Amino acid sequence: MVTIELYGVPRMRAGRDEVAVEATCLGDALAALGRACPVLTPSVVDGPRLQPRYVVAINGVQFTADAAHPLRDGDAIVLLAADAGG
Amino acid sequence: MQGGLFGAYLRIDLGSGAATRVALDPAIARRFIGGVGLGAWLLHHETPRDFDPLGAEAAVIFAFGPLLGTPLTTSAKYALVAKSPLTGRIGDALSSSRFAVEAKRMAVDAIVITGCAARPSILILDEAGASLEAADDLWGHGLSVSDAARALAARFPEHTFALIGPAGEHLVRYAGVTNDGRHAGRGGLGAVLGAKRLKAIGVRGARRVPLADAAKTIALSKALARRSLGPATEKYRELGTVGNLAAFNRLAALPTRNFQASTFEGAADVSGEVLQATRRKGRGSCTNCTIGCEHFFEVTPGEAPVKAEYESVFALGPLCGVRDPEIVLRASRRCDELGLDTISAGGTIAFAMECAERGLFDGTAFAAEARGLRFGDGARLLGLLEDIAFRRGALADLLAEGSRSAAARLGPPAPDFAPHVKGLELPGYEPRALQSMALGFSVGSRGADHNRSGAYEADFSGQVDRFCVSTESARQAIATEDRAAVLDSLILCKFLRGTLVDFYGESAELLAAVTGFDCDADELRRAARRIVLLKRLFNEREGWTCAEDTLPERFFTQALTQGAADGAVISRAGLARSIAAYYEARGLRSDGTIPAETLRANQLDPL
Repeated sequence: MVTIELYGVPRMRAGRDEVAVEATCLGDALAALGRACPVLTPSVVDGPRLQPRYVVAINGVQFTADAAHPLRDGDAIVLLAADAGG
Repeated sequence: MQGGLFGAYLRIDLGSGAATRVALDPAIARRFIGGVGLGAWLLHHETPRDFDPLGAEAAVIFAFGPLLGTPLTTSAKYALVAKSPLTGRIGDALSSSRFAVEAKRMAVDAIVITGCAARPSILILDEAGASLEAADDLWGHGLSVSDAARALAARFPEHTFALIGPAGEHLVRYAGVTNDGRHAGRGGLGAVLGAKRLKAIGVRGARRVPLADAAKTIALSKALARRSLGPATEKYRELGTVGNLAAFNRLAALPTRNFQASTFEGAADVSGEVLQATRRKGRGSCTNCTIGCEHFFEVTPGEAPVKAEYESVFALGPLCGVRDPEIVLRASRRCDELGLDTISAGGTIAFAMECAERGLFDGTAFAAEARGLRFGDGARLLGLLEDIAFRRGALADLLAEGSRSAAARLGPPAPDFAPHVKGLELPGYEPRALQSMALGFSVGSRGADHNRSGAYEADFSGQVDRFCVSTESARQAIATEDRAAVLDSLILCKFLRGTLVDFYGESAELLAAVTGFDCDADELRRAARRIVLLKRLFNEREGWTCAEDTLPERFFTQALTQGAADGAVISRAGLARSIAAYYEARGLRSDGTIPAETLRANQLDPL
């Protein structure tokens, strides 16, 4: 089980802070997120792909867009907007 | 047909009252585009070497971009350029809305103000000429910015104003300039106007900005407006910049308690998501903007709502250890009303809070006033903002000079943790957790700055290891500095940048349609490099050395200890290598100075 933590617009749209899914790679997790929260499809996730305006950081540390990135049980996927300008 | 520009600027000498229309060489306008680029060029030419930023010789420049006055979305902006009294280096700040449009419609590309008025004054400009009006009823009475703006509107109903608040009158070195509820906030340029005894500038224009290719400009404007409503800007439309806060906290990149930590236990209380859910009152936008990034939040029922941005909430919240959203929003509003830059105000007070907790005020002239000052004390935060704006008391007078100056007065170890680069307080990006941004802060010409360097984009992308500063950081820092130089000179809002797929090509197409220049992407790339170098050249003229291109000692010696950034610290050698790579890629000498061949190659040699 991995946890996808939602920040910003995805959190507001989904109406929840996080979603727990079964997945062994990032693409599977994103696809599962889209199924669990259809309101995030296709604006945030489109199947196993993340839309270009969003990024994920595995456990809040490593940013990646690689759908094949392997996940371990207990990993947290932090999903946020790519635009960090303030 | 030449469009977008009027080929002249207005020079006002407040000492003599003389107003002169000065022709502007079209080649200069093209070489430096407009906005920040043109303003930096004018600052070079209108000031002597080594001048006092608060002296009569100082120039303050309102510089307009070639796109201002066109239908292009987000183009209603101006650049305010002067030597910063906070840093002693170039200060350039942007603001937007009606003042910008009215000013350019006076058929000028810039307004240069020098000299010093004999008494507190209001500068009234329109096509009939320039006049100085007495400001005795507005100056020295403690009027808030909005009260002063209302008084000006009643007295001069046909003019639009930029003005300073009490902080500018009292020469607080991080006082800003306000127009239409927007702020040219950073670098203390409000104090430059205050030193000139200039309370406000009123403008009224009547000329239309000519368009070289009106049909194409309108078509491009419509297309850009459509794209501005797409996914690239949805964060700004739906949540606003305050949406950064919770995410930055999760990434351990949220500066907390004067950069002693990078996560804040009260982050959720002041996060954008919670503010939206519990206090949302509405949304607004600048003149001629289709994005609408301004989000207003309730402070207390029945009170006017407050516009909140990430930088203001971070600086007056987590950085000062304050988690009560009512206090943070109230503090943000007071900064706006007093005419204070929220980032520098929060940064300087957070620094004072740490000094107080460490006992560094003990035995000094500030001890009595600093007694009991602690992180998280919202009442003291609000009180200090008022005191600083009016320089009431020794402590507030010290803090009105900024954290660098205050640290120098207090002596070691205070300078090690004064949160500034070149005197400008750091914005809300923890450099140990975002190390490409650490480089961007270090080399920035106006100091620690998230608007002239967007190197954090690399940190958030996976293109670099965000916990390691590298030579790739240098490449990324340069790329974002160059893009910012173009946007700040055209001028367009940076929140549009995600809508431009081919940034330089599309920007050149906009510029060509408005001005008639046969410019292309490569010309804009060269202009971007030239503008960045020009700002460095000004700093070099005013005494800059490469010793200033660094970070506070804390970031090299105190590792973060929390969350995703546990153990993160900046390698001094690594930063030095990346600065060397930056200098080399910019064509600078190893000491960061600009050699003659680089000046020539960038058409800067006549300077």
